[in-house]
Amino acid sequence: MSVKRCFFWLGIIVVMSIVLIPLLWIYLTSFKNLHDVMSLDIRKLVVFNPTFANYQYLFLETPFLKEILNTAIASIGSTIIVMVIALPAAYSFARFNPGYGHLLFITVSTRMFPPAVAAIPFFFLYKKLGLLDTHIGLIALYVYFNVSFAIILLFGFFREIPEELEQAAMVDGYSRLAILRRIVLPLVTPGAAITALFCLVFSWNEFLYAHLFTRSAAKTAAVGLTLFWGSLEIAWGAMAAQIGLLILPTLLAAWFMQRYIIRGLTFGAVKG
Amino acid sequence: MDGQATGSKARYGVWDIILSERYFKWVLVMPLIIVLALFLIYPVVWVIHISFFDYGGVKPPLFVGLDNYREVLVNQEFWRALGRTAQVLVTSIIIELVLGMGIAVLFNRNFKGQNFVRGFILLPLLMTPLAVSMMWYYFLQYDFGAVNLMLEKLGFSKVMWFSPNVALHAVTAISIWQWIPFSIFVLLAGLKSLPRDAFEAAKVDGASAWYVFRRLTLPMLMPLIMIIVLLRTMWLIRLFDPLYATTRGACNTEVLDWLIYRNVFVLFDIGRGATLAIITLFFTFVVCALLFRQLMKAMGVNLSSQ
Repeated sequence: MSVKRCFFWLGIIVVMSIVLIPLLWIYLTSFKNLHDVMSLDIRKLVVFNPTFANYQYLFLETPFLKEILNTAIASIGSTIIVMVIALPAAYSFARFNPGYGHLLFITVSTRMFPPAVAAIPFFFLYKKLGLLDTHIGLIALYVYFNVSFAIILLFGFFREIPEELEQAAMVDGYSRLAILRRIVLPLVTPGAAITALFCLVFSWNEFLYAHLFTRSAAKTAAVGLTLFWGSLEIAWGAMAAQIGLLILPTLLAAWFMQRYIIRGLTFGAVKG
Repeated sequence: MDGQATGSKARYGVWDIILSERYFKWVLVMPLIIVLALFLIYPVVWVIHISFFDYGGVKPPLFVGLDNYREVLVNQEFWRALGRTAQVLVTSIIIELVLGMGIAVLFNRNFKGQNFVRGFILLPLLMTPLAVSMMWYYFLQYDFGAVNLMLEKLGFSKVMWFSPNVALHAVTAISIWQWIPFSIFVLLAGLKSLPRDAFEAAKVDGASAWYVFRRLTLPMLMPLIMIIVLLRTMWLIRLFDPLYATTRGACNTEVLDWLIYRNVFVLFDIGRGATLAIITLFFTFVVCALLFRQLMKAMGVNLSSQ
C-alpha cells in the first residue's frame, strides 16, 4: 500500500515540476541582467544578483500599460457580446435541436477555418470601413473567434439540466420566459461563468488577429511581446518580465476555474 | 390548424409568436445566425471568389481561372506543408491522449492538496500561447538555454533545437506542453462522472484493473475522446503562435497555416493564399465532419430529420 502511495506522489511531483519549473524560471529570468541571462554557468540559472531594471524598462520605455488596457477592453467587450449570443443559442440547441445538428456543426466549424480565411477579407473590409487598429474591429473578430467554443461548452451545461424540471414547471403554469429566468438561468450560472472565463482568457491570449489588425491605438500586449523578437539582440530579461506579467491574470483565472471545471468539461457527453 | 396559425398574427401579440412552440427555438439562435452569416458566409464567398484571381492588393484583381489551384497542387511546397501539419496533428493528439489519460487516472482520487495541484496543472492551457512559445524559445537556445545547460551537466551533448531535423519536434513539444491540460481535464471530468455501479459489479466479478479500463472505462469515455480529437484537430490546424515565436517557418517547420500566412501577408500573393486557404479548409472540413458525425452518434443526438 505504501509503495503505491509513494509512486502516486512521485507521479504528482514529476507532473508538477514539468509545469512549474519553466514558470519559475521565467519569473527568475525577469529579475536578471543581460549578462546573467546569457551566462553559460549553470549555477547562474538560480543564483544571481536580482535587478528591477527589466520592469523599469517595461513600464517606462514601452507602451506596456496601454497595451494591457487595450487587451482588457478587447477581452471584456468581446466576452460580453459572446455570452449574449451564445447563451440563448446553446439553450436552443440543447432543448430543441433546431436544424437537426447541421446548424450546430456549422457553428462548430467556424473554429476549423484557417484564420487567414477570415483574416484576408476582413483586412480589406476593415481598411475600407476604417476599422483597422480600432477596439470595435478587434472585438468583432474576437466574437467570431470565441462564439463556437462558448456554444459547445454551454451546450453541455444546458444538456445537464433535466428536461423534466422544465416540463414540471410548465405544468405548474409557468410561462416560457419565467422558466428561463427562474429555473434555467440559476442552474446554468456556474457553467456560464466558466464559459465566460474561457472566452476572457482566449481573447486575452489571442495573437494572430491582433497582430494583423492592430498597429498602435488598439495594439494588444501579445503583439507588444513581438517587439523583443525582432531586435538584433533580444532583451531576454525584459521579455521574461513581460511574459510574466502577461500570464499573471491567467494564473488567477486558473485558480478560480479549477474548482468548477471538472464538472464543466464533460460537454454533457457522458450520461451516467 | 394551419389556418389558425396564419390567423394568429392578428389576434395575438408579437410576444406570443416569438414564444410559440414553432418559432421560439429559431428566435433563440437568431443572433448566432446573424454572426455566422457575417463572419462565415461573407469571408468564405470572398475567399473562393478571389482564389480565381491574381491579386496583389494594389492593382485590380486579374482573372486567371484555375491557375492558382494548378500551381498550388503542383508545387511541392504545399504537399510538404500538408505532410508537416498531418505529422504534428497525429503526434500531438496521440501523445496528448495517452499521457493525458495516464495523468487523469493518476489524479482521479481524493488526495491532500488536490485543488492546489489541479490549479497548477491547468495553468499552461490558460497562458498566452505566444508568451509560452517565446519562453520555450529562450529555454531551448543552443548556447545559454536552460535545457541545454542541464543536458550538458548530466553528461549529454547539447542539442541544436531549432535546426532543420529537430525544429518541428520542438514546436510540437511546445504545443503539447501547453495543451495537454485540456486532455487531462476533459478526461478527468469524464472519469469523475462515470456511473459507479457498473464498476462495482465488475469488481465483484473479479475483473482485473486493465480489463475494467479497456472494457468499461474506455468505451464510456469515447465521446470525450472524440471531442478532444475534434477540438485539437481544429486548433492544431491553426498552429501559428509557436512558429511565430521560434522559427518563423524556417528549418522545415512551414505548416499549412504558416504557408497561407506567408503567401498573403508576407508575399502579398492574395490569390494564391486564398487558394491555399480553400484547399486547407476542404481537408479540415472533411476530417471534422467525419469526427463530428461520430461524436453526435456517441452522444445520442438526433442527426436525421425524422
